Amino acid sequence: MENTIDQICTEALREIETAKSKDSLNSISVKYLGRKGIVTQFLRNISKLPPGERPKAGEKANEIKKFLEKAFEDTANRLYSQSLEAHDFIDVSLPGRSALPGSLHPITRITREICDIFIRMGFDIAEGPEIESDYYNFEALNIPKYHPARDMQDTFYVSDNIVLRTHTSPVQVRVMEKCKPPVKVIAPGKVYRSDSDITHTPMFHQVEGLMVGENISFGNLKGILTNFVHLMFDEKTRLRFRPSFFPFTEPSAEVDMLCVMCRGNGCRICSQTGWIEVLGAGMVHPAVFENVGYDTTKITGFAFGIGVERITMLKYGIDDTRKFFENDLRFLRQF
Amino acid sequence: MKVSLSWLKDYVNIEMDVQDLASALTMAGLEVESVTNTFGYLDNVVVGRIVEISPHPDAEKLKLCRVDAGNSTVQVVCGAPNIAENILAPLALPGTLFPDGSTLQTCYIRGQASEGMLCSKRELELGDDKSGVMVLSGAPETGTRISVALSLSDFVLEIGLTPNRSDCLSVLGIAREIAAIQKQKIKYPVKQQPDRNNDIQKYTSVRIEAPDHCPRYAAALVTDITVSESPFWLRKRLMSIGQRPINNIVDITNFVMMECGQPLHAFDFNLLAENRIVVRTAEKGETFVTLDQKERILDPEMLMICDGEKPVAIAGVMGGLNSEIANSTKRVLIESAYFNPLSIRKTSKKLGLSTEASYRFERGIDPLGTVNALVRAALLMTEIGNGKFTGGVIDENPLVHDVVPIKLSISQTGRLLGIEMERENIKSCLESIEFDVENTDADTLKVTPPSFRVDITRSVDLMEEAARLYGYNNIPTTMPFIHAETIPPLKTLVLRDKIKNIMTGLSFMEAINYSFINESSCDRLRLLSNHTKRKLLYILNPINDEQRVMRTSLIPGLLETMRRNLSQQVRNLKLFEIGNIFLSRGQETLPEEVEMVAGLWTGDRYNSAWYAKDAGCDFYDIKGIVEGLISGLNINNIRFTKMPFELCCYTKQGYTAQVTIEDMPIGLVGEIHPDVLRNFDLKQRAFIFELNCNTILDLTNRAKTSKLLPKYPYTTRDITVIISKDIEAMSILEKLNSYGEKLIENTQLFDIFEGDSVPPGKKSVSVRIVYRSAEKTLEDNEVNGIHITITNRLLREFDASLSA
Ligand SMILES: [Zn+2]
Repeated sequence: MENTIDQICTEALREIETAKSKDSLNSISVKYLGRKGIVTQFLRNISKLPPGERPKAGEKANEIKKFLEKAFEDTANRLYSQSLEAHDFIDVSLPGRSALPGSLHPITRITREICDIFIRMGFDIAEGPEIESDYYNFEALNIPKYHPARDMQDTFYVSDNIVLRTHTSPVQVRVMEKCKPPVKVIAPGKVYRSDSDITHTPMFHQVEGLMVGENISFGNLKGILTNFVHLMFDEKTRLRFRPSFFPFTEPSAEVDMLCVMCRGNGCRICSQTGWIEVLGAGMVHPAVFENVGYDTTKITGFAFGIGVERITMLKYGIDDTRKFFENDLRFLRQF
Repeated sequence: MKVSLSWLKDYVNIEMDVQDLASALTMAGLEVESVTNTFGYLDNVVVGRIVEISPHPDAEKLKLCRVDAGNSTVQVVCGAPNIAENILAPLALPGTLFPDGSTLQTCYIRGQASEGMLCSKRELELGDDKSGVMVLSGAPETGTRISVALSLSDFVLEIGLTPNRSDCLSVLGIAREIAAIQKQKIKYPVKQQPDRNNDIQKYTSVRIEAPDHCPRYAAALVTDITVSESPFWLRKRLMSIGQRPINNIVDITNFVMMECGQPLHAFDFNLLAENRIVVRTAEKGETFVTLDQKERILDPEMLMICDGEKPVAIAGVMGGLNSEIANSTKRVLIESAYFNPLSIRKTSKKLGLSTEASYRFERGIDPLGTVNALVRAALLMTEIGNGKFTGGVIDENPLVHDVVPIKLSISQTGRLLGIEMERENIKSCLESIEFDVENTDADTLKVTPPSFRVDITRSVDLMEEAARLYGYNNIPTTMPFIHAETIPPLKTLVLRDKIKNIMTGLSFMEAINYSFINESSCDRLRLLSNHTKRKLLYILNPINDEQRVMRTSLIPGLLETMRRNLSQQVRNLKLFEIGNIFLSRGQETLPEEVEMVAGLWTGDRYNSAWYAKDAGCDFYDIKGIVEGLISGLNINNIRFTKMPFELCCYTKQGYTAQVTIEDMPIGLVGEIHPDVLRNFDLKQRAFIFELNCNTILDLTNRAKTSKLLPKYPYTTRDITVIISKDIEAMSILEKLNSYGEKLIENTQLFDIFEGDSVPPGKKSVSVRIVYRSAEKTLEDNEVNGIHITITNRLLREFDASLSA
């Protein structure tokens, strides 16, 4: 019986060799391995052998079955590669014909990210003109003419009473003039200062924030801004609030975050201090509330201003603000 | 504001390390911007031992010294009389930057190399002695840095003061803050009273004619003084904070100003006509020569200090050359005044002249500090200048300074800060900075700020002081409870975001250009003289000519961007920008701000792809972008009509379309005019569009309603007509649509052809009409009937013929 299976195998291999097409190979395959095929029959007959011979014969027959299956597969592949279909293919490595997407300016991206965070916290968005009257840009914000605080910002003048807004804070005043408290609003936009070097461009972007109501506290200001920085950077970013001065807020604070580059050890980015100033903030000065007719005995609120370029530089590791407005395609393409 | 650690230590004990001090000050609101080692300039000066002295072959008074510098032995040419073998002296090595600004280099003195310099105390600013080299005692090792050998250690802190903290524009002011941080008391210089006798009245007088400008003027007289160089300690104090010593009298006035914040001025009393002072405003057109030898033109708002005849100083800003302290000066009148901050600021701004004095006056000095500073300076002059303090001072005080107590509510402080602050806590914070605090009732404190805290006027100022000293970082971080009510999103913002998303989807890159442009851009864009885009708003103080006017179009910015990119060999650009333009309504009113979106396409249609031949983009590429953008905004009925030739300026005539939606012009699309390309130094064709977002916004506020989808099949018929070349192809479609045939569902152009079989001056236009009924499947003969009627009408109205 052992001889027989070897003979079957030899015969099968010889027939496979003669196959010239997929079809003829198929019929040979059916002849041997099909449901009624010779090998299949042989396997069924093993049960008729004396019990002592069955395992060995079964093992051998199965081995040969596998061997033949492999031989059929290889021959099928060989026949296929010789056929015409095999020459019908395309170079799938070539680039696709779809247009590449453009890109948003990094400032737009980060402004959107900032706004999204505050919108999720319940803030609305407001906008105001880029060219402002002296009143909205200064006076209403408790910065009278000839006040030394005017030196804090280098102003572009159009005339004595018209300026390019130096901050987005005038939007605070415009919003409060129109709406009764509570107010919770952010105001993104372009601002201008006559300053130009590696860290200053004469035009840049800010996002102003304002939250006014009953019992809005400095603790709340810390809460909102901490939440913001954690979402913008990461949960572990440490913050510190440092006393400062803005005429339209009191108490005023400068907010530093632990340097993202050196984690507080001191590096070039943070001028060796370990801290990076990211925004200015404070409780709205009662004089500002008085200017918009809010009741200072009932209403408190906070305001803050975020420099978009600053955040963008930290997020993307950009070292020169002027790059933002040169619009070099090789730069823009990276975002 | 610069202040040295050693000077601070005159008034307050400082146990903290200098870096800890810097961060403590920063966290108290006095931001320390830098800490520098005062003796950094001595880094290249080491202990040297003179090993051998030999005569200089070509100079009798000079000697050649071989000096052991630790690691090496150098030759030094030296002429000091006190050199001797084996003495130790400071040896400056090449590279040393001396306090006088010079740098030491290896040099040849009469042919002999000098590889260093043995220094006197004076040369190193370590003392007055300049008679010979500084001989070091003890046994410091050679080569040791001199700062180590002499245990020299001092630091200068540079503090970025906010404009409200004028009280800290002095060493005492900073020391006060440090004392508060350390919960200590400050040691003020001993306050001395002037002599009881009032001899000064015999010699001089002060008359204030402009009390609004000058609420207080004090003066003292010191006679028999000797003007000379200041002693070492005084020079060192001034130099440590970057002040140049001049002479003992001037140095004393500067020292006292730096110490207590009160600017002083010293006049040569003998040069004051009639030996008296008159404080008055200037006369119109009056001129005056200040100490810096510049002639200043005055105006009647400027306050002047005058003698019996003429001005001798611009009050609070700068003294005059005519009464300057000179070596011959024998009698000095010292001025210590309180000037109106606004008056000084206006004068300083008008003259473009800011000095240490004006800086302090305009921020507000201590109104009660004048006499103290005056006496301090006068007594120093008697000590250092050998002068005699004429008894008494003049203190013209026409306006009395009122210190008004402020009521502070403890509960409101807690409410604003978000932390329950104990009464005692608030009290101790405020008392630590010399505020006078009294209890009134259960919730109220009566607080009187010291006279030098001119920034404290209302209760919120006190809350800030309490919070600052309590520590912002000790206030708990909490979240507000806010009303959930919200308002609809800003439509401008929604539209802007949509446009940005669509444009990037159309593979355009967003650019942001400056809002200001060069005034010449209007000419470079070939704008007609009456063009609205010539309504320029000028910046009075631009940084440069490139940024002199506000932009009235986004196109110059995009063209400049194109030029910059071409110069970087990036020649395929698809850019867009969205932003405001500014149309002037006169310099005295706010301009009209209009939001625009503009796009620019230059270079290839495809970025050199394997599937397409290199082909430059053209008008229809950029037009397709505009169509894509507008349809992405869900706006229909967009029309492109030929821009009349006379209205084309920066775009090429015949290659420009006006874009309208429902007869509202919203902008243009076209090819940049070759002259404009040349004007912007561009050597490549460019196609642009510029659309008005404000107008688009008005068109987008339409509700969308869904329509039923058709149930029955459509059938199509084509027409090819030969028409005059002048007729715009789209007008055929418009005409077809205008017939109001209900069964026409859609029309489209599918071929345009000129030349060969088409007669000259004509073109062949092929149109496909899609017919469909909402009620039934259309029969061929029904469609044919309608189609023939329409075709004939079209041929008639366009004077056209069917193609052969
Ligand atoms: Zn760092």
